[in-house]
Amino acid sequence: MLDQPQVPVSQRTNPERSFKEEVRALRLGEGDVFRGEGILAVTKAILQAGVSYVGGYQGAPVSHLVDVLVESQDLLDELGVHLETCTNESSAAALLGASINYPIRGCVTWKSIVGTNVAADALSNLASPGVIGGALIVVGEDYGEGASVIQERTQAYALKSSVWLMDPRPALPTIVNCTEKAFELSEATNTPVMMELRIRACHVTGEFVAKDNKPPAISRNARLAQPALHNYDRISHPPSTYAHEKLKVDVRQPAAERFIVEHGLNEFFAGDRSDLGIIVQGGITNVLMRGLDRLEVEGRIPTLVLNVTHPLVGDQIADFCKGKRAVLIVEEGAPDYIEQAIHALLRKRDIGTKIYGKDVLPMAGEYTAEVVTEGLLKFLTLSANDIDLSGPRARFEAAKAGRAEAQKLLGGPLPLRPPGFCVGCPERPVFSAIKLLEREVGKVHISSDIGCHSFATLAPFNLGNSILGFGMSLAAAGAVAPVMQKRTISVMGDGGFWHNGLLSGVASSMFNRGDRVLVIMQNGYTSATGAQFIPNTSGNRRDGETTSDIAATLKAMGVKWLRTIRTYNVATMLGSLREAMNTKEPGLKVIVADGECQLARQRRVRPQIAAQLKRGERVVRTRYGVDDEVCTGDHSCIRLSGCPSLVVKPSPDPLRTDPVASVNNGCVGCGLCGEVADAAVLCPSFYKADIVQNATWWDRLVWRLRSTVIGALAHG
Amino acid sequence: MGALGGDGGGVLCDWIVAAAHSHGLGVQATQIPGVAQRTGATTYYLEVMPAAGPRASVLALNPAIGEVDVALATELLEAGRMIFNGFVTPDRTTLIASTHRVLAISERAAMGDGSFDVGRLLRAVQERSKAQILFDMDQAAEESGGVINAVLLGALAGSGRLPIPDTAFEAAIREGGKAVDTNLAAFAFGRGHARGELDQAVREHRKRQTAAQGVEDLIERARNSFPASSLDIVEEGIRRLRVYQDGKYAALYLDRLEGIDPLLVREVARHLAVRMSFEDVIRVAQAKTSRERLERVRTEVRAKLHEPLEITEHFKPGNEEIAAILPPAAARWLMARRKFNVSMHVRSTTIWGFARLRFLASLRWWRPHTYRYIEEQAEIERWLASIKAAQSLSPDLAREIAELARLVKGYGDTYARGLGNYRRISAEVIAPALAGKMVPRVAADAVANARVAALADPDGESLSRTLAAIAA
Repeated sequence: MLDQPQVPVSQRTNPERSFKEEVRALRLGEGDVFRGEGILAVTKAILQAGVSYVGGYQGAPVSHLVDVLVESQDLLDELGVHLETCTNESSAAALLGASINYPIRGCVTWKSIVGTNVAADALSNLASPGVIGGALIVVGEDYGEGASVIQERTQAYALKSSVWLMDPRPALPTIVNCTEKAFELSEATNTPVMMELRIRACHVTGEFVAKDNKPPAISRNARLAQPALHNYDRISHPPSTYAHEKLKVDVRQPAAERFIVEHGLNEFFAGDRSDLGIIVQGGITNVLMRGLDRLEVEGRIPTLVLNVTHPLVGDQIADFCKGKRAVLIVEEGAPDYIEQAIHALLRKRDIGTKIYGKDVLPMAGEYTAEVVTEGLLKFLTLSANDIDLSGPRARFEAAKAGRAEAQKLLGGPLPLRPPGFCVGCPERPVFSAIKLLEREVGKVHISSDIGCHSFATLAPFNLGNSILGFGMSLAAAGAVAPVMQKRTISVMGDGGFWHNGLLSGVASSMFNRGDRVLVIMQNGYTSATGAQFIPNTSGNRRDGETTSDIAATLKAMGVKWLRTIRTYNVATMLGSLREAMNTKEPGLKVIVADGECQLARQRRVRPQIAAQLKRGERVVRTRYGVDDEVCTGDHSCIRLSGCPSLVVKPSPDPLRTDPVASVNNGCVGCGLCGEVADAAVLCPSFYKADIVQNATWWDRLVWRLRSTVIGALAHG
Repeated sequence: MGALGGDGGGVLCDWIVAAAHSHGLGVQATQIPGVAQRTGATTYYLEVMPAAGPRASVLALNPAIGEVDVALATELLEAGRMIFNGFVTPDRTTLIASTHRVLAISERAAMGDGSFDVGRLLRAVQERSKAQILFDMDQAAEESGGVINAVLLGALAGSGRLPIPDTAFEAAIREGGKAVDTNLAAFAFGRGHARGELDQAVREHRKRQTAAQGVEDLIERARNSFPASSLDIVEEGIRRLRVYQDGKYAALYLDRLEGIDPLLVREVARHLAVRMSFEDVIRVAQAKTSRERLERVRTEVRAKLHEPLEITEHFKPGNEEIAAILPPAAARWLMARRKFNVSMHVRSTTIWGFARLRFLASLRWWRPHTYRYIEEQAEIERWLASIKAAQSLSPDLAREIAELARLVKGYGDTYARGLGNYRRISAEVIAPALAGKMVPRVAADAVANARVAALADPDGESLSRTLAAIAA
């Protein structure tokens, strides 16, 4: 890679991920059948609801909402919808401020809980004055298996800011209906509405009957002549805020409860056991139904599905519980806000129904099929011992016993597959260099961040002492550095830098004369979430002008010690790290580790190379290899690189048993393995192979000459 | 369904959904796509209604233990993971999985062989599922020119476990519109394997014998001296050392094996040959200039027949490597200097580059005079002496001492670390054992434990802990 040209950061462009199918689905009209994933259904639904603007900050599992719209510029232009690809969630939440003064609908999206945390300030200031145009926040509830963030509930924000929270049953028609109703609910109650979708709900497949997209009445195609009249009531400042607080509880919440009932947002599934009941979050319904089916009681127990989990409708809950002996609340995650609220609600109305919930279901952790089945068994045993569960129980217990047996057979836990850097990732060499640095200076406190580079905290690098949030790594070392003999190293991506790191980290460190090292991974995209544009990418989605350069920004902020280095050069990277750690110069030392995201690069160059080959042009393909005769099977190279294409294979040597290293065909020729073998003085097994495709006559001539001479010289 | 990032699990999922849908069956799928592109595990869950009917059933988003009809895995460990999690059960589940392994990072990073026991995986696969369709789908994908997901789809179709006809699957592939021909070919391959219409030639892992001439007498001598069960190794050792040095050296090899317990000859012969052909610059140059090497590289990097190839070797010799080929006095002087390393990228496909390597390789006549040679021979003699001394105490202990040679391998720091560990164990466990301070059986276990510990982590923490425990 070192000798291969790379595109400078200012020219890196969108690596052409294609959402052609998805874009087409957004154009479906009245009566057409939409087929696709949950999150795309939401995207279609907001266009059907006539939004004037959309915004958001990417993050699994909701990235697609904005990603697909980015590629639907024609459609957005026709409808007059403004799309803002925000630099963080705070900015996205503030975007909804447009609906405070103007009767326009807007939708923003982000990953929760983390995104909601970042957005919290703007969210409070939005919720207080409230909105006159429908405001919807679609949050990806990143909870349970596959989640990448701390396990907390978005519900807490809904409660404290008096924002309504929808948790629709994961079926496309329900999700779409909730999305459309959310805008109406928002307008009817002057309150922003959040809708949470768990990972599986975002990716669930299904279909619904589409409607035409609705061009908004006020939009970039139909602009207002005048701004809104000044109205202090719309400003979240005292004394308005005192009035807002009262409005929330006296007016908005009762209005919301009426709306929920009138529009039938919560669903009721009937059952013949009128003495029992289950109240479930909409998002957990499918798991519950599966459990009931397994216990052969599906369709027997009346069930209230809360597609809106805040506010709860007091009368609806009370009516449901009245006359029942026992009701089970199926509410995922801690704290048990819904259960507590229902307890209080029934107590105040003197309804004596026995409530089960977190006593038969676990307080923490994902409600999987097994967990819910287990809870249902306990609930039914305690509350309805007339139902014969012996058959299903025996089958369930047998499955669990079988699993224990299988685990015994496998003999302990299986090797994990933690996520790691891609083949040829430009971030990997930085951590190889840090590993080598630690050989020289000993262990260093490493403050990690959110992004692909957080994979360095896993095998084989195992580097990193803390993660405090997106763009927070420099700030997180603020009080570590002063008590440490050695300087600390903070690692941050360019995504994190623009999201938060610039102000929370760099400005604060400069202001406090921090003496720390910061490594900024500059690849030009927020890559872990799907290579979205950021301010130092070549332009934004619409033009090719680079907005902001990181090095220039740092200089303007007064950073004196600044190096920009191609990451693949491990020796240079090591040298710079060594200097940053040891220099007498005080203050913040920043290394901008520059390397184009390899996924993006491959998407860019593969079609180019294929075209060149087709035209018969000379193309040199580079890849690396290991001489299996020279490799002795220690695997230091793997521990210092972890490249997925650096694998092991059985030794071809009849005298050796340890498997040897091998480079597989996934190799993109980045050269890190050779660099590391070099910088760490590992072994002479690595070689680089340049294969000349569509060779010229000169290439062939030289080759023929060389192979003849070499053939004559070779021994053995 | 379990897959690895990059296996195309998402596309496979879409194919099944499209096929079920076109056949009028209710279907729902969801996924946990994982984070990483290549290394992470990804999981998918689908429910398909058994027959066309009124819609609007609530389908689940999570698999339930004991309630899975078909489990698909693109890799064997991922099949094992589904079994481990209880989703594959002998009363119900058909397991369709590829038998190839893609090692997880902890398996690859081990200092020796860290791979999970495939035997255990296969046994669990056989015992814990109702029916199995197992073959190397990675190889099948390669042979068909397609991607593994299409092979797996074919195997699913071939299993007959879904109420969906082949044509619906094929239509789904066509509708997908990408790489249709190769995907259809891979699909047909997978289906053929699942129905037992195709046999897969298991690719054997081949060991390469050294080609050597003029070793007939030595081989004859070996045949008269050592048990038949050890001869493949001993003969390879002879050939190896003949090429490495000369016939005299190969004869020395046989001399050294004399007096080894017949039960131990095979293991000792294996390690002895490796130790005697230690890796110095000359040996590396020999390997890189051998006649077969260029062809091997061409195959490995998949260069086509007429494509010119340029190879650049990554060398970084330092004082240790240079000292290794100097006479002892000069070597000691050089090793006392400040440590240095010179980065050398030698283009071994150029005439000049190759000639330089060939020159180094031709220095083998000089090898017996080098510092490293003399050191190694002394180390080997000590090792053999302790094996022979241990034989009378306990064959197990002798075997473990022989096996300890595994630690001494590699280059530079790796070699130094391995040798250091080897010497530590020799001094702290083997020496006391041979002096009669330990029960031989206990000593054999102690050496084995120490060896495992030395290979557990590169920092030597496990070894220190283990040695402390042995001493206590």
